[in-house]
Amino acid sequence: MPTISINRDLLFKALGRSYTEEQFDELCFKFGIELDEVTSDKLIILKEQGTERSAGASEEIIYKIDIPANRYDLLCLEGLVQGLQVFLGEKQFPAFKVVPPVTVPQRLIIKPSTASIRPHAVAAVLRNIHFDQNTFSSFIDLQDKLHQNLCRKRSLVAIGTHDLDTVHGPFFYEALPPDSIKFKPLSQSKEFTASQLMDLYSTDSHLRHYLPIIRDSSVYPVIKDSNGVVLSMPPIINGEHSKITLDTKNVFIECTATDLTKASIVLDTLVCMFSRYCGDQFTVEICEVETPEGKINNYPILKNRHEKISVDKINTMVGINEKADEIANLLTRMCLTATVEGTGSISVEIPPTRHDIIHACDVYEDVAIAFGYNNITKTLPKTNTIASQFPLNKLSDQLRDQLAQAGFTEALTFSLCSKEDISEKLRKPLNSVPAVHVSNPKTLEFQVARTTLLSGLLKTIAANRKMPLPMKLFEVSDVVVKDSQRDVGARNCRNLCAVYYNKSPGFELVHGLLDRLMQLLEVPLDQSGSKGYFLKPCEDATFFPGRCAQIIFAGTVVGIVGVLHPDVVTSFDLNLPCSALELNIEPFL
Amino acid sequence: MATAHGEKVLKYLEENGTASSLKLAELWNEDHQKIVGTVKSLLCLGEVIEADLQSSALWDLTEEGKQVAKDGSHEAQVFNAIPPAGSTQAEIVAKVTEVNSKFTKDMAKVGFSKAMSLGWIVVDKSSGAPKFIKKVTSIQDKVQEHLKELATGKDTLTNELRTEYKKRKLIQEIIIKSYLMKPGPSFSTSVTKQETDLTPEMIASGSWKTKEFKAYNLNALGTPIPRGHLHPLMKVRAEFRQIFLEMGFTEMPTNNFVESSFWNFDALFQPQQHPARDAHDTFFLSDPSTATNIPVDYMERVKKVHSHGGYGSQGYGYDWKIEEAQKNLLRTHTTAVSARMLYALAEGGFKPAKYFSIDRVFRNETLDATHLAEFHQIEGVIADYGLTLGNLIGVLYEFFRKLGIEKLRFKPAYNPYTEPSMEIFSYHPGLKKWVEIGNSGIFRPEMLLPMGLPEDVSVLAWGLSLERPTMIKYGYDNIRDLVGPKVNIQMVADNPLCRLDKHRGSEMKETDDLQDLENRMDSIMTRLRGIETEVKKLKRQGKTTEEKLTLVIEADPKYPPRSIQTLVRLLVARGDARTIVTVHQHSSLASACPTDLMQWPNLTVSDGSRIDNQCNLTWIWKPIGRHPIVKIVNRPNGDIHGEAAIARLLARILESWTDCAMYENFDSSICSQIDDWLDTWEGCIQSGDSKFLMLIRRIQNQLGHPDGRKWLVGPLPGVKSLADIFLSNLLGDKLNTLNCGRKLARFSPVKGI
Repeated sequence: MPTISINRDLLFKALGRSYTEEQFDELCFKFGIELDEVTSDKLIILKEQGTERSAGASEEIIYKIDIPANRYDLLCLEGLVQGLQVFLGEKQFPAFKVVPPVTVPQRLIIKPSTASIRPHAVAAVLRNIHFDQNTFSSFIDLQDKLHQNLCRKRSLVAIGTHDLDTVHGPFFYEALPPDSIKFKPLSQSKEFTASQLMDLYSTDSHLRHYLPIIRDSSVYPVIKDSNGVVLSMPPIINGEHSKITLDTKNVFIECTATDLTKASIVLDTLVCMFSRYCGDQFTVEICEVETPEGKINNYPILKNRHEKISVDKINTMVGINEKADEIANLLTRMCLTATVEGTGSISVEIPPTRHDIIHACDVYEDVAIAFGYNNITKTLPKTNTIASQFPLNKLSDQLRDQLAQAGFTEALTFSLCSKEDISEKLRKPLNSVPAVHVSNPKTLEFQVARTTLLSGLLKTIAANRKMPLPMKLFEVSDVVVKDSQRDVGARNCRNLCAVYYNKSPGFELVHGLLDRLMQLLEVPLDQSGSKGYFLKPCEDATFFPGRCAQIIFAGTVVGIVGVLHPDVVTSFDLNLPCSALELNIEPFL
Repeated sequence: MATAHGEKVLKYLEENGTASSLKLAELWNEDHQKIVGTVKSLLCLGEVIEADLQSSALWDLTEEGKQVAKDGSHEAQVFNAIPPAGSTQAEIVAKVTEVNSKFTKDMAKVGFSKAMSLGWIVVDKSSGAPKFIKKVTSIQDKVQEHLKELATGKDTLTNELRTEYKKRKLIQEIIIKSYLMKPGPSFSTSVTKQETDLTPEMIASGSWKTKEFKAYNLNALGTPIPRGHLHPLMKVRAEFRQIFLEMGFTEMPTNNFVESSFWNFDALFQPQQHPARDAHDTFFLSDPSTATNIPVDYMERVKKVHSHGGYGSQGYGYDWKIEEAQKNLLRTHTTAVSARMLYALAEGGFKPAKYFSIDRVFRNETLDATHLAEFHQIEGVIADYGLTLGNLIGVLYEFFRKLGIEKLRFKPAYNPYTEPSMEIFSYHPGLKKWVEIGNSGIFRPEMLLPMGLPEDVSVLAWGLSLERPTMIKYGYDNIRDLVGPKVNIQMVADNPLCRLDKHRGSEMKETDDLQDLENRMDSIMTRLRGIETEVKKLKRQGKTTEEKLTLVIEADPKYPPRSIQTLVRLLVARGDARTIVTVHQHSSLASACPTDLMQWPNLTVSDGSRIDNQCNLTWIWKPIGRHPIVKIVNRPNGDIHGEAAIARLLARILESWTDCAMYENFDSSICSQIDDWLDTWEGCIQSGDSKFLMLIRRIQNQLGHPDGRKWLVGPLPGVKSLADIFLSNLLGDKLNTLNCGRKLARFSPVKGI
């Protein structure tokens, strides 16, 4: 969820009234955003860099506000104020216009070479714009917020804004070998080739994160004007030549992308938010984008989409009973201009700022928000169903109760563990263990899913060595093993594990526990092996030689019981004999 | 044996009301010790008699004194042995010893000198060799008379004589312990021995009918019973499971941790570029890395709705790739299972259904005190025709009411697979604000319709974590204390029943805040009761009886307890200079302590001869490991172990002597915060660095408060709480070895108040 920082005084000035913190918090809650933190530049610097650095910093109050991830239209002061004012019924939502220029439109020509790296581009022009310090900062901040969120850290879309009066169209978007791109990038005093820039920015705390998007490509994207002046090398950096300033009058916006839909949303959002500062308010100048196939598309699209919604359906979905005109009013407050059409139907105009509305259900939600979630009458569904338990969970719970009644204490260990927990420490080679491997663990503790509950219990004992002896622990939980029969290639096994840790191994105790479990499960001791269970001596590296047996039930091995090998004991930082029992309970269902 | 005597004693008591064992011994001419034995056996019978132990001093003859009483004093014997003409000393001694074989030369020596000084005899040197001759004709042997009298029990000696005879070792003082008895509440003159407990023999013979049984001491605790335990989190899980079952929800089979991206994300209409599908947030698998057998038709419908829309949707308008959908992962939510269930429901012909699950999910997140890489998700799903948002709100009220939560509020939210989406908030009386307790919503048509569910079917769903309510219910602030191998088994053993509705989710319900604080304080008090009583004794001692407090602190020079050293410094500086500290090193140390450890208090007061000092503190460096020990001299069981406990003791002493506030002189809420920090530290010592880093993070958060504070607890800068003194000193060393950032650098060790 993105968080935006807004100067409180500017916000209240734009809203035309001031609020107490509580009042504003309440307003945010209803609107579906969240006042996360109240701070100031000074406090932020104080917090991060100490008292000395904070001296002289601004003490103006800043509101940090959490915005839902799909509300790109609220990511800057301009959009937030517009949304809130319309929500409060104080302003009408503006109509955005796309107009051709007096002369020929600007044109961005996409070359086929971009196909392999970043095939899409869109563009627009904001004419006769007037920035002040605050609006200029807001313009830059919004681009940054969009880059971080909708643009997925510039991987999907990258925005470049330029002073149109410093360059000359038509513009060319192409992909060139890194060494043949050379320009003076933003905030640098000399020219670099693209390869040099990659080196230069490899230590830049901000830009280095974007380098991998194109670094390994044989060609890098670049936008030039008709004179060969480099406007930008997306998605990394713009050129110094065309950079916008407070005095910029005409802004050329280009968005390059791997996802054309998102590029268009980004462009729409940017021009909708800032066309209010144009000489002709809420009006954007068209740009032509020529595809490699030679097709000309006009941008920005700024389409008002119309959706026809049934009043009944809204009332049913939300659980309210409002008349059509009331619902239309509610929607209008959510920036969705709505008109009643005939009986029981509403036409909703979805503006280019609300790309989050992709289905009628999104409209229902806005009705509910405008109505107020907490004003909806609560009712119980009439759904009449008979409950049942998942049989395996029921059996697990019954056995857990019995294990506790037998004097064992339940542990709750992690399903993920290190490779050595299930191999080396248990004296087994890793390749003999059918474990599921995690490809991107952040620490050693999450390398594999456990294939046995034993390691977790031994770790629990190790962390509780101060407890009086004997220690008797159990866990009934899932382990994961590879299984090519399943669609995902793995399955869970519901295992039961019990350990006894004392000055003597106490094999007879875990053995006795097994017998008790079998008694509870109505499984008789049956050496012939066809109906009941029995123990069959075996050798297992985890266990002490001659002190280990397989548990055979109905002819198949379901578990193992024995005295742990001393090397296993010591590898878990323990020093006393220990016997253990582990079996899969699924066959007993 | 005791019975005959016992009954005699009891009879005497009945007649006389009281009795002294000494008097009875005299009266019955019995050995006193025998009577004492009888008294003790009577005391064992319970409350038959009461007896006060008394001690009295008595003068009695020594062995030598007894001889004197029998044979006369040494001087008298010497006198009687002198013939009328006189004789030499040797002859006289020979004569006395002839008469009395026990008479020694030493006695003779005393006899001559006494007889001379009494003027009974003189030395005559006229005839060459010195001779002793009688000077008087008869003598009165007062010494013998006095001793004879004393032997009969009559003590009329003057103090001078008593001193003299004591000096001559003729008499000695004997302390006699005796009992003064009186009848007890269940006095009776007949004696039956009380039995401790019923035996099989008594039952067999029926002798229990005539026996009396010793009363039980019901104030003592019973013996801990051997037992097994269920884990607290699983107890809360059982409670939630029960609630769902009571509400008619069927449990979903969630025993599949490995899931494909398709079911975990794509089926839920979560676009393939969604940040949650990033490797930063999700555990992907390298083996088995991909899934197969995704239902082909269904997958085509999912692909279409993502890339082009349909079912009334615009779609996301991107190039959907099967490779992304096939990537295996550890499920990030149990909603993946809900998706499978709903798909199966549609395939099998839709019938209204209510499902729930409580099981593990996995997030590749940054870990902290409240987040782990795996946790339990609770999920509820209702699928039926014509369900409304009002229905969802209604069900949530009923669900949370069963948890004891009555006050809910809903906030609009965004979730890729629900629309409308609502975050569930409940009012937290402790924090005095609304806190998020879960998420809910109605599944999007783009998720349901490709599955083949009828168009007028809505599916309500909500989810929350199991760990969070459990942490709130049982008061944990670190999730690792609750889940994983580091869990303290003692905690599992001591954990109470889980009755969410009974306690009405103590944290979440609106109750009297003061009551809450009191409860918290009560629990802390209980935990600290041991130290508490000790300190009360110390306080009394310091203030009323003026008895000195003598503390011996043992600490290991390898792990110098900085915080205790600081508190000792404060004690010296603020305790009216009445604390005297001496530092020693124990001989068992392998090498000598560096001088900074030996001279550390750097005290101006080193005058050990002061007599008005209140506290003598002996500091001994000794190889005892990380946990220092304080011994309170003259207080048995007074050993207190561990740095935090000692710090608490010293803080209390400081507060009682100086009226400063650093710990319990603050109000109870601050006091409990201080306890919390100290407890957390103690937990860290046991669990090592991972936990320690979490503590650091907590401290960083606290110090990261917007007011730029440099302290952990307390309302004001400048007032340092015990928690600040304690942790800042402890961290001083450790911070250098860890990269802890700027905030902590400000948290400089507090060396004084």
